[in-house]
Amino acid sequence: MTQKLRLTRRGLMATGAAGLGAATLGFSPRAARAQTQVALQLSWLHSAQFAGSYIAQDRGFWAEEGLEVALLPGGPNAPVEPPVVSGTALVGISAADYTAAAVEQGAPFKILGVAMQENPFVIASLPANPVNTPADLVGKRIGMALANTPVLQALCTLNDVDINEIEIIPTQYSAQPLLSGEVDCLLCWETDLPVSMAIEGIESVTMLMADHGYALHSQTYIATEDSLANRRAELVGLMRGEVRGWDAYRADTDAAAALTLEMFPDAGLELETQQLQAERQVPLMFSELTDANGFGWWSDETVAANIETLALLGRTVTPDLWDRSILEEVHGA
Amino acid sequence: MSGVALPATHRGDGTGWGTALGLALVVLGWELAARALTGSYVLAAPSQIIAWLIENRALMLRALGETIGNAAAGFVLGNLAALVLAGIALAWPSSQRIVTGVALVVFCLPLVATGPILRVIFGPGDGPQVALAALAVYYTTLIPLLVGLRAAPATWFDLIASYGRGRVSALIHVRLMASLPYLFAGLQIAAPAAFLGAMVGEFTGAERGMGVLTIRAMRALDVEMTWALATVATAVAIVAYLAIGALARRVLKDAPPIILAPPRAEGAEAGPLHHLLSLAAVAAAIVALWGGAIALFDLNPFFAKGPDDVLRALIWAPNAADLRASLGVALGETAVFLLPGYLAGLAAGAGLAILFVLAPAVAGTAMPLAIALRSVPIVTTAPLIVLLLGRGATGTIVLVAIMVFFPTLVACIHGLRQAPGQVIDVFDSYAAGRLQRLLRVRIPAMLPAFFAAARMGVPASVLAVTVVEWLATGAGLGSLMALSASLSDYTLLWSAVALTAALSALGYAGVGLIEARILRIYAPEQLV
Repeated sequence: MTQKLRLTRRGLMATGAAGLGAATLGFSPRAARAQTQVALQLSWLHSAQFAGSYIAQDRGFWAEEGLEVALLPGGPNAPVEPPVVSGTALVGISAADYTAAAVEQGAPFKILGVAMQENPFVIASLPANPVNTPADLVGKRIGMALANTPVLQALCTLNDVDINEIEIIPTQYSAQPLLSGEVDCLLCWETDLPVSMAIEGIESVTMLMADHGYALHSQTYIATEDSLANRRAELVGLMRGEVRGWDAYRADTDAAAALTLEMFPDAGLELETQQLQAERQVPLMFSELTDANGFGWWSDETVAANIETLALLGRTVTPDLWDRSILEEVHGA
Repeated sequence: MSGVALPATHRGDGTGWGTALGLALVVLGWELAARALTGSYVLAAPSQIIAWLIENRALMLRALGETIGNAAAGFVLGNLAALVLAGIALAWPSSQRIVTGVALVVFCLPLVATGPILRVIFGPGDGPQVALAALAVYYTTLIPLLVGLRAAPATWFDLIASYGRGRVSALIHVRLMASLPYLFAGLQIAAPAAFLGAMVGEFTGAERGMGVLTIRAMRALDVEMTWALATVATAVAIVAYLAIGALARRVLKDAPPIILAPPRAEGAEAGPLHHLLSLAAVAAAIVALWGGAIALFDLNPFFAKGPDDVLRALIWAPNAADLRASLGVALGETAVFLLPGYLAGLAAGAGLAILFVLAPAVAGTAMPLAIALRSVPIVTTAPLIVLLLGRGATGTIVLVAIMVFFPTLVACIHGLRQAPGQVIDVFDSYAAGRLQRLLRVRIPAMLPAFFAAARMGVPASVLAVTVVEWLATGAGLGSLMALSASLSDYTLLWSAVALTAALSALGYAGVGLIEARILRIYAPEQLV
């Protein structure tokens, strides 16, 4: 019953949730007011990773902008770029390396904002056999997806480590191979596998790659050049809601985690895990730079550092991949 | 029908107790193994699973309802598609090679590639989940159905003809009746496949469902939740399997006929030229469908690459040699796992089916386990098998074999049951032993079903190996496809997809050639 009430109150959510049935039957949920419907393609399943957006939704920040925003979940087989290119989603949550790769393949993307100022990649290990610095990787077995080999290569190049001295073991994305002793360390995100281990009562050591020269914007907002030219008002409204949502998130991460569970009761989330994840995300998302200029900001220096890291990853990009005009409008208002 | 081992049913009280005892021992072994492996986070004990399920029953029921709904919709749509395709192939026999060829290639399309495209076509909602469930079933129903539609004695057709009736009457009175056992075999295999298809469909960005929870549980190191999900998925698959089996037994009362088919009519012998022609026709149909679908759905050329794009990238483009080299390396890595796994799966499936006939008591315990093994989502079992067998070849080969063995087992059991009662009676009257009956009656009767399974096993093993590579081992074609999708290298992705599909189709054709040679001796009515 409460579930039902909530759905009507948050007309928005109905697009995502009840829309499951409606979309296949060929009718769309009625718009409560004359609001423009847009979609934001998330990069993963619903979790506190996107809690700022949930706050924007829940508190009507987007409704105030005349927007009805559908939050489309991602998944292991749900790349963000196709729905944004094809217009299913107005904005997608990507990362600078994925965006650069897509642009190289002809996608007309621009980065509108940067949610994660610091890249969340870490090397996670156990205290008995820790990896505290890149040099510690020598002689270790690292569990990771082979797809991330360029990431490890970049870290090694930045820190004068010979990648051939590291044994790469292709594993599924889980802490299990580390705990069963199949590998000595994992390449993962600060905010997921180490959080899972902490919740299970397992202490882990994480070495944030961003602290060792790996400068790469993550959780970046991307849109097409066409949207930037023709749908500016919607982009500004969507980003303004995001900025307000994430500022509210920072003020109370526990409340943000609780809202995540409330909005997505079927996602199988645990409050404790979400709280810890929400908390650990904060230092990656907010910095002196964002304190001075507002959420999502970047400077010419951070972009230059990103371009250097991208070059190590084999991607050649220019600073105009980043387009600050939307954020300027948001923060200027 | 004489006493062939039926899966876990129709059994006296004695064997019933044996089954119960066997299963109890399995559960006990599981409990002990889970407790021994506690620190490894790969296996939960039955007691922990039950506790988790009781605590989280509301969440589980909602997820189950979602996934079952999508799986059921996909099951119905996929099997209807199979019926329509079989009807087309029957109405125009010359079209059969093209129909099965195109159906095969579509079935071979790797999930890594189709998932995101289905998501773009359907948008948010459960479209991709239903579509992937349908794609997972239509082929495994189509192939047995085509076998069954021909599994009738020539005398029956003569009878229809002598009444002056035509092909439609033959279809209704003879072919459909003869095809029912094969149709049910297909449907039984399809039920677990539909559920897994719907689960994997949720990987393309779904709000809820068993697949969503499985991803969540694995990342959260929640072993109880992971195995609770796997247990429920398996239970659903077993129930569906048994329900279709029970329905089949209600419907199928007649003993199978003796099929003494005449040798093939002269002139109909398919020469190499004919084979080449049908291969070219299949290729042309695929290319037309491929390009047509991109145009029809107005797919963006950024991610939807047509046949011309792939050809250009593979042959004319300046870096074509690099592309071919990386595909070649990945293909080599995949083939090393694929071939042994495929052969082991076929051998295990046929061998187990025969064992069930020789020792019906074994079937009581082994059959539920066999269904379970196939129905446990591969994402859940992969870490356990990899831990037990290592990340090297053995683990992957076993996973591939598991995917192949179950359809083979089911098909072979049904095939063994097609041994004509009258022939068995003749052997009985000579007091021939079980082994004699097996070698001279049942195995020959099994061959058409075995080969149908061997053909189905080609795409099934390709799917299995690419999924394992994608999710667990990170090598080979499956990993290459996942990598190219995440890096937006859709030309590489589509080239890999085209290569995978083409090789599957060739493997299928290769099995078909062996099949034709053997069936010419044992079941010539199957040769069109």
